[in-house]
Amino acid sequence: MVMTKSPDSVISGHNHKYLDVDKINKSLDKVTTDGAAYAEVRLVAYTDYSATIRDRKLERAIPGQEIGATIRVLADGAWGVHSTTDIASLEQQMGPTLKLAQSVAARRSSNDRPISLAEVPIIEDSLHWKPKKDVRNTDLADRLELMNLLSDSASGHENVVSVTCGWHDEHIHTEFLSSEGMNRTWSFQRSLINGMVTARDGSDVVSYRTRFGGEGGLELIESCDINQLGIDAKTSALRLLKAERAPSGKLPLIADRDLTGVYIHEALGHPCEADLVAAGDSCLDGKLGQKIGSDIVTVIDDPTIRGGYGSHPIDDEGLDTTEKLLIKNGVLTEYLNHRETAAHFDIKPNAGARAQDGLHHPLVRMSNTLIHGGTHTDLDELVEDLEYGVYACGSRGGQVDTGRGSFQFAAQEAWLIENGEITAPLKDVSVSGLTLQILNNVDGLTKESKLAAPGFCGKGQTVPVGDGGPIMRISEALVG
Amino acid sequence: MNLLPESALDRLQEGCKIIGDRCSAMDISSWEVVATQSYGHQIDIEGGKISLAAGGGEGGFGIRVLEEGRFGFAYLVDVNSADTAIKSALSIARMSPAVNGFVLPSEQSAQPVSGLYDSSVVDMSSEDLLIQADDIISEVASLDDRAVVTGGGIGVSANASAIYSSEGVNAAGVTTSHGVGVQVSIEQSDQLTSSWQSTSSRSRISQANECVNRAVEWAKLTRNPIKVETPDDDSVVMMTSEGFSPLFSVVVPNAIRGEKLVREESFWSGHMGQNVIASDLSITDNARIPGGRSSGARDDEGVPTRENPLIDKGRLVASLWSTRDAAQQIAEGRIDAAKSTGSAIRSGHQSPPISGCSNLFLTSSQKGQSYEQMLELIEDGYIVNSVMGAHTANPTSGDFSVTTSSILRVEDGEIIGAVKQAGLSGNLAKAMKDGVLLGKEVRQQGSYSSGSMYLPNVLFKQGLRVNPV
Repeated sequence: MVMTKSPDSVISGHNHKYLDVDKINKSLDKVTTDGAAYAEVRLVAYTDYSATIRDRKLERAIPGQEIGATIRVLADGAWGVHSTTDIASLEQQMGPTLKLAQSVAARRSSNDRPISLAEVPIIEDSLHWKPKKDVRNTDLADRLELMNLLSDSASGHENVVSVTCGWHDEHIHTEFLSSEGMNRTWSFQRSLINGMVTARDGSDVVSYRTRFGGEGGLELIESCDINQLGIDAKTSALRLLKAERAPSGKLPLIADRDLTGVYIHEALGHPCEADLVAAGDSCLDGKLGQKIGSDIVTVIDDPTIRGGYGSHPIDDEGLDTTEKLLIKNGVLTEYLNHRETAAHFDIKPNAGARAQDGLHHPLVRMSNTLIHGGTHTDLDELVEDLEYGVYACGSRGGQVDTGRGSFQFAAQEAWLIENGEITAPLKDVSVSGLTLQILNNVDGLTKESKLAAPGFCGKGQTVPVGDGGPIMRISEALVG
Repeated sequence: MNLLPESALDRLQEGCKIIGDRCSAMDISSWEVVATQSYGHQIDIEGGKISLAAGGGEGGFGIRVLEEGRFGFAYLVDVNSADTAIKSALSIARMSPAVNGFVLPSEQSAQPVSGLYDSSVVDMSSEDLLIQADDIISEVASLDDRAVVTGGGIGVSANASAIYSSEGVNAAGVTTSHGVGVQVSIEQSDQLTSSWQSTSSRSRISQANECVNRAVEWAKLTRNPIKVETPDDDSVVMMTSEGFSPLFSVVVPNAIRGEKLVREESFWSGHMGQNVIASDLSITDNARIPGGRSSGARDDEGVPTRENPLIDKGRLVASLWSTRDAAQQIAEGRIDAAKSTGSAIRSGHQSPPISGCSNLFLTSSQKGQSYEQMLELIEDGYIVNSVMGAHTANPTSGDFSVTTSSILRVEDGEIIGAVKQAGLSGNLAKAMKDGVLLGKEVRQQGSYSSGSMYLPNVLFKQGLRVNPV
């Protein structure tokens, strides 16, 4: 049976180590002697706490501890991977993982390009993003108090039939050792509060979700105006009860910060992931240096923004994270990459490797993706030029077909724009389009750019992400 | 090497017993321990070649303790930290509201379900999977020399689980699974089309031809798009089982949960005993289907599973309940009577049980139509084989607005060409009320929420709007 046999079952603090560095280093040395070009062990220990209340009553609270580790071995230009919760077995699994890599390599044709890794600095250190208030020291009663505040402010109307509030916090501790001599340990925390208001009027039922969170401890949630968060969610849910179905067709669209973030995440961020580009599954293949958007579009992905839900100090290949400039004034300047794809494209590694946890291998992923601000003062200035269009707010998520470059995202609520004014509320608005068309249709951005509500991104593995930007106007989008 | 270590199940049960004994030693009279442990091999395919081979195992334990109707839960990976987890669960229980009448399920005998374990899956090695991956890559190329497997892979796993409780429940078992997924793309003349298809089974999949064929076929069918005008009204739409299942799985399982219905959080709330969908349609949840993806002798709190007819010939007749959800809704006065329907589900060992579906079937009392017969019935409409953004559908209202790049235009019963991209919107609950025709061939599909779906192709005559780009 595979169950963890960690040296100490309780994650006690920043200085605690799970891996026996000497033993692991010896096994890494051996596997390279036996034929591996590269090998690494990455261990992740989570301490997390989630809770849900419904109508002020505690539904569930789940404290948990998880620990997992992944071995990656590169041999003869191919990867072998082994993931386990049995930390004591890591040294024994090094050999079989080498054989796995060699088996893959043996099946490759002579035309297949062998995998190699870009050179990176070798670092031995510990780096901890310490929160002001360590969330692990928070009592359930304190978490409940904050959730009840959200619940109370979102309740109190005859049409509100229920309010569900959730909480999730986590302390993430990672240890990374490689055959190249990398020996890094890092940690950080994330905290999140969310709510869902369900409202009913006769047979019409609607729901509205709200969420606040990011990298940090309890202080992050305490910095939020939770009362206002709840009031806004209730107001939106009640408004949705009276909203009409949206018009469909090609229309001018104004997107709030949440939707701007989802748009740039789906439409541009994913096609910019170099593993998809290398696999022939991105519409941005071969477009580095080309103009793909309007002049006012500049996009970054930045894991170093403290407080962003996608923030992290070190990527899952042990590289210091850094800001990536994906588009500058409409020109595609950089793919998100990891060491394998940096070598594939002969470009500088930019630390874009992320894994869901210790039991998954790293993929090229986004972190906090934002469009830079523009020149418009505010929403009114974006609206006043429009005769007819849609103003859409709040995200219900999105999806992209990176190869075709087609994407879809859905708004939580929306309004009609008529003769330069925001008028009737709308519901069930979704927007779709083609990346290479819509980026050229961005014709207005407000000045202030900042992260919007936290989100999660799925690409076979789920990772927390931040995204946002200014309020954005698109001259023509397919609204459904 | 065998996928499943020897005596894996015994050791899992031993861990449960150690934790259960610790609960008893700490004077907790009512407790339940669950354990899961999975072992697997996986091959990833990217850019027309095998990109990675992986393997490993993961698992852990979940503890639910109950004290005077109050429950607490915690999970852990190391049996040695059981005391800490039990204390956490107990402290949570003491802060939780009491649910009068809530007791953990007592032991009841459960009949096994066949076809959930295949020793030939357990015997599969990484080398076997590499051979299958090679075969799939070759098969795709043989079907169309332009076609490339741009993504996907193959996985096998053996999943051991156990449950042990103070009420005498003591059960354990191992299931197997084998899955194949392929993203096939055809890029030629500056035009890229693609299709994702997948299949999975509790038994060894010796041939993935049907899945591979469908992926190549749809990558070809959607080439050379034609221009289509936007219709003014609803369109007739045939959704293939693959195209329909993502929307169905977001909307229907949520609406059919007992607590959602009595809390008025379902669009079917207040309609028990009434017609809610077309009078020939029925929806049944059945965890006892041999070889079913979500089948099992017991649900995730140890209650024996059963077949649960939910909608019978259009009429809402029942809903899905776990033990606690049923007790809570009675205690809070929303319903006079409810009891477990053997429908407790968990997200592994890391969560306490909630009510949810297992294998959901949509059937009709009318004779099922072949694909060709359904096509002939479309004078002016579309066929949709996949949608993008199904997870953005609103499960509370049934409203959805998604996008499809896998859509064919049909006129006078004939496919006249592909549409490059289109919006597809409507309300699934309303669209299922009338004018729905089901195909005769049922295919098992995965789910966004829980369980699996057994769905045929579905022809909607009203309620869906198509908005071609």
